[in-house]
Amino acid sequence: MKSVNNSVIIKGNKYGIIVVLNPDMAFDELKELIAEKFKESSKFFENAKMAISFEGRYLSNEEQKDILDIIGKNTDMQIVCVIDNDPKKEELFQKTLEQKLMELDNNTGQFYKGILRSGASLEFENSVVIIGDVNNGARVVSKGNIIVLGSLKGNAFAGATGNTNAFVVALDMSPTQIRIADVIARSPDKPVKDAVKEAKIAFLEDGNIYIEPLNKNVLNDIRL
Amino acid sequence: MGEVIVVTSGKGGVGKTTTTANVGTGLAMLEKKVVLIDTDIGLRNLDVVMGLENRIVYNLVDVIEGNCRIRNALIKDKRYPNLYLLPSAQTRDKNSVTPEQMKKLADELRDEFDYILMDCPAGIEQGFKNAIAGADKALVVTTPEVSAVRDADRIIGLLEANEMEETYLVVNRLRMDMVKRGDMMSSDDVMEILAVDLIGVVPDDENIVISTNQGEPLVGSDSQAGRAYMNIARRLTGEEVPFLDLNERSSFFGKLFGKRKY
Repeated sequence: MKSVNNSVIIKGNKYGIIVVLNPDMAFDELKELIAEKFKESSKFFENAKMAISFEGRYLSNEEQKDILDIIGKNTDMQIVCVIDNDPKKEELFQKTLEQKLMELDNNTGQFYKGILRSGASLEFENSVVIIGDVNNGARVVSKGNIIVLGSLKGNAFAGATGNTNAFVVALDMSPTQIRIADVIARSPDKPVKDAVKEAKIAFLEDGNIYIEPLNKNVLNDIRL
Repeated sequence: MGEVIVVTSGKGGVGKTTTTANVGTGLAMLEKKVVLIDTDIGLRNLDVVMGLENRIVYNLVDVIEGNCRIRNALIKDKRYPNLYLLPSAQTRDKNSVTPEQMKKLADELRDEFDYILMDCPAGIEQGFKNAIAGADKALVVTTPEVSAVRDADRIIGLLEANEMEETYLVVNRLRMDMVKRGDMMSSDDVMEILAVDLIGVVPDDENIVISTNQGEPLVGSDSQAGRAYMNIARRLTGEEVPFLDLNERSSFFGKLFGKRKY
């Protein structure tokens, strides 16, 4: 018979943890062991954002949920998602976690109030709403989306780490340059005559940046 | 306590020195005690525009380095006894003084003068930093050209970063006929981009060239630019002055009834 301590084993890699469970033990007994085990290692994990996977035992959805609750109670770490067993675990973990984090980034944002004048350059870790103008010669860079409640005349670079779903919105869209992921678009050499000042969105599609008025159809196509 | 006002622009040739000379003279005409300081060390010309070049003995750098007292370097204006000029040095460069020294100088002058006007050099380097160091207010001069407006925008940003309390815009050399044809930005267009308070619009006026060459500021004379500069001076003193109607042509009836739209 295996020693009791080995009934629950926590294995970890950079992006997540694998919990190996004893297949023969009663579930209630196992739960206690899991609680104990995570309590011991809660300092080690701190408040890390992790993906989790279970091995060695088939778990029903409810059992899985029970275990996640136990982990939540005993540690500060955040389980971002649960991954089924797979040979390419680490790769999958990484992909899933990064995607999830990117989504989280897109869903959070910050506000900046003020006029960005020529020479100003601001960089943001996630999406940003600028309340004011971005003048010629100024630059905004964001890993997420950029929304300008004012006129955008300078440079805007959305999805700076390669998020091709990023977009730029401005109430008056007349940028010098817009970059989304690794695509660059520049303003036309001759100013568009009688261009209407209306809210517009710039987004990436098939490797091209398109600028369109903000209407319902376009808004429906936005993916965060 | 006097007020220190810096006249700046970023771009060269938009009329900083002309504005300093005219607004300063205008304030003197309103019986304020005024000193104009030329901070453009190495490229002085406020003295030329004021017609005081032949009176220079000591200059700004002499004062800062302690070669003379402030009183010795100040030149009294030809026409207005309460107007003085502190000329710049021509044989030195911008690094001869530091922002701290300029601030100290400006503060020393506050006791004696109502207004201390700093004529700032073009650019954003040492000379600019010197000129804005002691200032409470800034007049940003721009012409309605994209390049000048672009530089003005940068300058306003730098003034904000240096915690300038008040910044006002002077739109210089506006040509109403071109604005009407849509070939030039209007003062409203400039305002929309720069988003700071307007303190004056000065029309393009060939009389300015004449007055500059003769070394006699135009302010107060019966020309559009002269009136516009006087209005800026009056607004600086806190008076509410309506903006000039630059569309006015000198019509016979207008003159007959003495109707003034300014």
